[in-house]
Amino acid sequence: MCEARFPKPDFTSGYQYPDIEHGVPLEWLWNVVDIVLLIALMGVVVWAAYKRRSRSVILGVSVVSVAYFGFFRSGCVCSVGSIQNVVLALTDSSYHLPWYVLCLFIIPILAAVLFGRVFCAGVCPLGALQELVNVKNFRLTRAVSAALSVIPWVYLAFAILYAATRSQFLICRFDPFVGIFRLGGDLGMIVFGVSLLLLSVFVGRPFCQFLCPYGALLSVFSSFSWKKLSITSKTCINCALCIKSCPVDAIHSPQTSKTKESRSAGVKRVILFAVLLPVFTLCGALLVGGQSDALSSAHKSVYLYHLIQEQQANPEMEMPLEVETFHALGGDIEALQAEVTEVQHQYAIYAYLAGALIGFVIGLKLLRLSVKRSRKTYEIDTARCTMCGRCFSYCPQNTVKKDEKAL
Amino acid sequence: MKDKKLTSPMDRRDFLNKCGTLLVAGVGLATGGVLATKAKGKESDTFWQIDPYACTQCGRCETECVLPVSAVKCFHANRVCGYCDLCGGYYRPSVKDLNTAAENQLCPTGAITREFVEEPYFEYTIDENLCTGCGKCVKGCTSFGNGSLFLQIQQDLCQNCNECKISRVCPSNAIKRVSYEEAYQLKDHA
Repeated sequence: MCEARFPKPDFTSGYQYPDIEHGVPLEWLWNVVDIVLLIALMGVVVWAAYKRRSRSVILGVSVVSVAYFGFFRSGCVCSVGSIQNVVLALTDSSYHLPWYVLCLFIIPILAAVLFGRVFCAGVCPLGALQELVNVKNFRLTRAVSAALSVIPWVYLAFAILYAATRSQFLICRFDPFVGIFRLGGDLGMIVFGVSLLLLSVFVGRPFCQFLCPYGALLSVFSSFSWKKLSITSKTCINCALCIKSCPVDAIHSPQTSKTKESRSAGVKRVILFAVLLPVFTLCGALLVGGQSDALSSAHKSVYLYHLIQEQQANPEMEMPLEVETFHALGGDIEALQAEVTEVQHQYAIYAYLAGALIGFVIGLKLLRLSVKRSRKTYEIDTARCTMCGRCFSYCPQNTVKKDEKAL
Repeated sequence: MKDKKLTSPMDRRDFLNKCGTLLVAGVGLATGGVLATKAKGKESDTFWQIDPYACTQCGRCETECVLPVSAVKCFHANRVCGYCDLCGGYYRPSVKDLNTAAENQLCPTGAITREFVEEPYFEYTIDENLCTGCGKCVKGCTSFGNGSLFLQIQQDLCQNCNECKISRVCPSNAIKRVSYEEAYQLKDHA
C-alpha cells in the first residue's frame, strides 16, 4: 500500500525531518489505584454494614464509586464486563488476561463468599448510580420478579457464548450507563441508559435485579456466604416495617404453613422438580443449540459471508461496504468459507452449553421455589440482598438506645 | 429422638450452609487459581491499534468511536512523504489553482497545514486537535501519493474500551489488540 510514487526529496537547505512525539497510553498506575480502591471501598462497605450498621456510609461509598470508577475512569473495564475477558482467556490461549482484570473479576467473588454482595452495595458504579437516584420503590409481585430474575442468566449465557466464539463483547455493547459516565455515546446507548436510570427512580436497581449477569454470578456465591447480614442485631419483633424498605425484594417474611401439607407430599414435589432439572437442562440445550447457525451470524466473518451470498444471489442490490472491502482487498472466498465452517462448529458446541445453562438455571429456580421452609422472623435473602442498608433504619429495634431499654 | 436433636452440635440448615460455603469458597479459589495461571503482568495489558497497511479509509473511525470526537487521528510519516506541491491528501482532486484557499482543501476541518521548505518541496503537518479521523486525506494520499498519511489511534485519547466499538464494524479488520510495545504501528521506518 505504501507506494513510493514520488522519490524521497533531496533537501539542499539542510532541512531536518521533524521529530513527532505521540502520546503514550494511559498510565498503568491507574490500574493499581483501581484495585486498591476497589478493595478499600469493599472494606468500608463491610464495616458499614456489619459493624456500623449505617446506610449513610454506604451512600458515601456510592458517591465515591460513581465519581471515580464511573465518571473519572469512565467505567471501563469493569467487573461486569470482565466475565468476557475471563471467558476469552479460558477459551483462547493467545489471549492473556491482564492481572487487573483478573483482580476485578475475582475479588468481588471472594468478598461475596465471605460477606455477601459487598461489591453491589456501592462499589460497582452501575449499582451505585441506580442506588443514588432511587427514591421510591414500586414493588413487583413475587411471581413477576422471580420470572424476571431468569433474564440475567440468559444474558450471562449469551455473553459467554459470544465471548467464547470471539464474536463480540455483548455486555460492553449493552452497558447501560457507560454513555452517561462518558457524557456521550450513540443514541441507542444514551436512550437505554437514561430510560433505565429514570426507571430506577421508581423501581429499586432494575439493572442489578433483572439484567446484570455479574450480579447473577455473585448471587450464587453470596447465597452461601460465610457471614450473613441480619436486619437487626437484636431480636426481631416481626413488625414488618423492614420489608417495605427493601428495594430488591430480598427480605423474606416469616411464614408458617397455613394449609397443612404432609411431609411426604412436600418431599414428592421436591423430588419431581429434581427429576425435572435434567429435563429442563436438556430442553434448554436443544432449544438454543438448534439455533446455533442463526446465532453465529453475530460473528463478523459469518455476517460477511452471508452478505456476500446475498449479494451474489441478488446482483442489482447496492454492494455493502463490507463486501466491497472484501473484494477490494482480494478476499479469498474459500478461506472465508473455511473460517465460517470453523466458527459455526464452535457455535454448535457453545450454543448447546449456553442453552443447557439457561435450562439448568430455570429448573433450579423452580426447584428452589418448590421448597417451602418455615421462618419465624424476617430474614435477608443473601442471594438477592445488595446491602444498601435501608432496612437498618426502618427496624425499630435498631433505634432503641441502651438507656431506653433499661427503663 | 428429642434428646438426639438437642445434642446435635448444629442444626441441619446451618450444616448445609457451612458445606455450601466451603463448596463455593473452593470453587472461587479454584477459579482464581486457574485464571492466575492465565494472567500476565503489565506486559499483557493490551491497546487498540490500527494496522495502517490494512486500513481502507472507509470513514467509520470518525463516526463509530465512543468519544464525541474520535480518538483515531491522521498521522504523518515525514520520511515517506514526497513533499510534493500537488498533494493528493491536501488538495481536492478537481483543484485548478494550487493555492491554499479553503475551497481547495480536502480536509473538512482544515487540520492539515503546509509550509514551504525549498523549491519545490512543502512540509505537511497535521493539527491533531482539529483532526476528526475521517480519513479523507489518507485516501487521497494513498491513492495518488506515497501513502505517508495514515490513520492511527491516539493512545492518550483512546479510552481503551474492553471491546473497541470501531473494531466491531471495521470492514478490513484493521483494528486489533496489541501489547504496549506495539501500541503505535507507524509508517516512519522507510
